[in-house]
Amino acid sequence: MNRFVRLSALITLAFLLICSPFPSHASPAVSLTILHVNDLHGYILPFEDKTLDPDSLSGGAAYLAQIIERERFKNPEGTLLLAAGDMFQGTPISNIFRGRPVIEIMNLLRFEAMAIGNHEFDWGRDALAELIATANFPFLSANITDTQGRPIQGTRPYVILTRKNVRIAIIGVTTTETAYTTKPANVSDLVFSHPEKILPDVISEVRSQGAGLVIILSHLGFDADRELAAKVRGIDVIVGGHSHTAVTRPVNVGETLVVQAGYYGLYLGVLELKYDTSTGKAVGYGRDSGLRRVSAAPGSLFDEDVSRIVEKYHRQIKAEYSRIVGSTSVDLTKSPDRESNIGNLICDSMIEATGANIAFQNSGGIRSDISKGDITLEEAFDLLPFDNTLVVMDLTGHQILQLLEQNAGGEQKILQVAGLKVEYDLSRPPGARVLRVLVAEDPLRDTQVYRVVTNDFLAVGGDRFDTFTQGTNIVYGDPLRDVFIHYLSKHSPVRPEIDGRIIFLNP
Amino acid sequence: MNDHITIFVNGIRIRIYRGMKVKHALIARDYLLYAAALEGRLAVYDDSGFRVGLEGALHDGARITTREVA
Repeated sequence: MNRFVRLSALITLAFLLICSPFPSHASPAVSLTILHVNDLHGYILPFEDKTLDPDSLSGGAAYLAQIIERERFKNPEGTLLLAAGDMFQGTPISNIFRGRPVIEIMNLLRFEAMAIGNHEFDWGRDALAELIATANFPFLSANITDTQGRPIQGTRPYVILTRKNVRIAIIGVTTTETAYTTKPANVSDLVFSHPEKILPDVISEVRSQGAGLVIILSHLGFDADRELAAKVRGIDVIVGGHSHTAVTRPVNVGETLVVQAGYYGLYLGVLELKYDTSTGKAVGYGRDSGLRRVSAAPGSLFDEDVSRIVEKYHRQIKAEYSRIVGSTSVDLTKSPDRESNIGNLICDSMIEATGANIAFQNSGGIRSDISKGDITLEEAFDLLPFDNTLVVMDLTGHQILQLLEQNAGGEQKILQVAGLKVEYDLSRPPGARVLRVLVAEDPLRDTQVYRVVTNDFLAVGGDRFDTFTQGTNIVYGDPLRDVFIHYLSKHSPVRPEIDGRIIFLNP
Repeated sequence: MNDHITIFVNGIRIRIYRGMKVKHALIARDYLLYAAALEGRLAVYDDSGFRVGLEGALHDGARITTREVA
């Protein structure tokens, strides 16, 4: 084909396009980008995840921010940035400042909405209210109300945003597990409705307000999201959290796309959605949709403004760690195989926090000694470094006796106790080594039900104390370390003694 | 409401309290699995083949598997 013919063909094609009965602005496909994170849990500093990268750090809010800006730049008029819950609780840098560093970063990055996760209730309602008040974006949950059916103060069930002339409804939903996995005092006046029951009406409401695209911003977990997509019609996309699932490619359930972006800011979720304005339906997603891994390896780009926020709090945390949280008049000394005064102190704090009859703490979870004098926050972290949570349950006297008998076995580090006294004769055969047990000065009764507090490690049978898995009427409590620090602040100077709670005869 | 849920860890049925997480299922199955996952020698996957975190929530009947990290 000579140059003249090619030029003629191009001119003809251009003419035909100009005269086309389908003008270009009537093209029905609109490209929308949904950027999403979930379950950040306060991980704004890069950290080691050897399964992803054995040589370098991963995650980190400044590195995540850089990727968010890069993806937003590709479609600036058509991008949404969403968070699917549990953004604050989980790391010292966030916990100590009650989530403030995370909110500052989310405001800077211009998040459009966030679902309320179960852990948003961990610090109580006042702390949540403060986070909501500080945020430049709405906290959403359509299935949490007070007993009068009203949303929690400052929250709403949904928000409708417009991108490229498409009205997009974002509806929040929260796991109903929150009602029983959270400290009761923080949620006892709230009603957690099943999402599949309330969503049809909410979807009708937003559709009647012109929403063409319906996104459920969910803190239900991946399996529950798929069930929801199968049960409830009219959902275009579910952006999920709670199960910490790294959904590497969007999953189709009927006409709904389900996505989730792992946890701790290790990934940014990117869903490049094709939306047909003529049918009002999402018709597919771009092949680049999926997860972007956040690496803090040397040379990785990061956002300097976010980095400054992280550094500001990181510097403060060093000072915060040296804050005095209590004091002790005696040296606090742990023991793996005997009653210890620090074990007694910890167990006493567990009883006071929960009102249980009996407390058990594994000696292996007590990791350091503390010298007489002031106790700093850092020492409390060194003492109890694991993020254990209290679990309160009913056990019978017979089950408690089983635990105590196993406690004499010497196969693992012993359980420290409060609320009871036990005397062993180690010269007797296994199964008969417990001589006597007193609970509040009364003999332990086989059939009587006692309220027992322990930590979540033991509650699943950790250290092979399987009897803890047979409890009933389970209630979750506060993190053990917080309970201990609160006890110190209330009772210092403490002076715990080895007072004969666990006596071994004939060792 | 039942206090327990059933989880399958590497095909083995275990029961843990409702509201507990992936790490609890591993501890309940075998503490060494949890220790290996903490050290980064094992990663945990759901029944769709997606990786899940140790603090991830579990649904009644969930099936998770551990795989050695290459």
